[in-house]
Amino acid sequence: MARMKFLCDAERCIECNGCVTACMNEHDMPWGVSRRRVVTINDGVPGERSVSVACMHCSDAPCMAVCPTDCFYKTEEGVVLHNKDACIGCGYCFFACPFGAPQFPNGPAAFGARGKMDKCTFCAGGPEENGSKAEQEKYGRNRLAEGKLPLCAEMCSTKALLAGDAAVVSDIFRERVLRRGKANDVAWGWATAYGKPEQAAPAAKGEAK
Amino acid sequence: MTTSTFAPRFGRWLAAACLTLGLALPALAADATPPAQQQVQRQQVQPGNNAPVWREARSGEAFFTNNPGNEAGVLIQQGGDAWRHLRNGPVTTYGGWLIVLVALAILAFYKIKGPLTLHDPETGKLIQRFPRYERIIHWTTAGTFIILAVTGLGILFGKHVLIPVIGHSAFGYLMVLGKNVHNYLGPLFAVSVVAMIVVWARDNVWQSIDALWISKAGGLVTGEHVPSGRFNFGEKTWFWIGVTILGLTVAGTGLVLDFPNFGQTRADMQFYTLVHAIAALVMLALSFGHIYMGTIGAKGAYESMKTGYVDETWAREHHEQWYHDVKAGKSGHPQG
Repeated sequence: MARMKFLCDAERCIECNGCVTACMNEHDMPWGVSRRRVVTINDGVPGERSVSVACMHCSDAPCMAVCPTDCFYKTEEGVVLHNKDACIGCGYCFFACPFGAPQFPNGPAAFGARGKMDKCTFCAGGPEENGSKAEQEKYGRNRLAEGKLPLCAEMCSTKALLAGDAAVVSDIFRERVLRRGKANDVAWGWATAYGKPEQAAPAAKGEAK
Repeated sequence: MTTSTFAPRFGRWLAAACLTLGLALPALAADATPPAQQQVQRQQVQPGNNAPVWREARSGEAFFTNNPGNEAGVLIQQGGDAWRHLRNGPVTTYGGWLIVLVALAILAFYKIKGPLTLHDPETGKLIQRFPRYERIIHWTTAGTFIILAVTGLGILFGKHVLIPVIGHSAFGYLMVLGKNVHNYLGPLFAVSVVAMIVVWARDNVWQSIDALWISKAGGLVTGEHVPSGRFNFGEKTWFWIGVTILGLTVAGTGLVLDFPNFGQTRADMQFYTLVHAIAALVMLALSFGHIYMGTIGAKGAYESMKTGYVDETWAREHHEQWYHDVKAGKSGHPQG
């Protein structure tokens, strides 16, 4: 049985926000709701790195643990989904989530009228029948039921964002890390795209000694 | 004896101190370099090792993002985990048992001692205890309190108590209603609590006669009627601890949670939900005592707040000082 996971390769992410746009378009997101976002650490200075982040579909999901109506459930593939009919918009999942994944259509509204929580579904819809109109309207497209992986990862131009079975995703990433090699033969990643050759050279010399 | 143990102890202490310093100093030195610069240096030495960046990712700091949401730049917030474990752990467990045990204790007290009754027959002459505006404030506070307590208990305990009975979807629809009622009624409770404090504060100040009430434990055990002013010390305790301290805490934290549109962070919401839940649970447990005394615990108490009037016998036996003051034509409020 597959265990679905996202992995964002910070050596490859170029902060193009293509994943964010792809997600919004695929699921017809209303204004103010963004299931995925790209965060850039040390923006604009050497050494900056970007990470695309959404629901990480935790094994021991905090949102599930704190939900007052127990509206979350986990699929056989380890995808954390929720039932919007039972969601009361209390915001507790958002307080508990480490990644800021839960979103609310009305935002932090007065009287706590946030609306039903919305979050990344790993393109796996909700409790309604797969591919039904009701599912599409509440949760967006169910690509997993169509045998397709999440669109954010499929659209990623540098293949920084990977989605799929954890075993396959980690194999791909491990392979990449091995091929990237060490200081003097950087064939992949940030240094290849943006690094200046004269920067890498002294380190290589240093290692030779 | 003392000198022989002193040396090895001192030696161990010295070793521990050196070890601590030795471990702490390089860490302090590393912290002094800005994280971005650490990352640059790391890329020179170990390309592909983004450890400095990942340390920053866990710092809870807000970084650059195109997403305009509040705290969207924070990659990982760590407070949620502590909040989850405090809320699902001690608050739910101890809070739940507190409510159950206090309710059982009061029920047992009622079974054993029975209600407080009048010793002398009623005179049939009525005397006003609560004017209309006081009753309106009392019942607004009481009504909103009960609805807020029921819906609040549903939010904290519903999934353990109600879902096994009525199922997920019925509970879900019920709580959509419950949460909205809780959020829209909360501000009314806050207003009526403040009104109640304004109206009754001067009648709840300490009076020398309260010492007598304390020394006789209110006559709860003996069934004796202890003289008191307009409010006895038990009522005053409920007023200052229950209504004033806990009521204002619950109302204040509730308003912070109810209007999250002033830029509250997740850390704020975590802190205020915990304070709100704990204060509300303690207030609810105390309210059981008040509700008991106001309904089945003391004969005539419920009628006094329902109609505003009490029998003269009731007034003399329960609030003797107040009774004499009113009969003497004074205001009935504590003098001096």
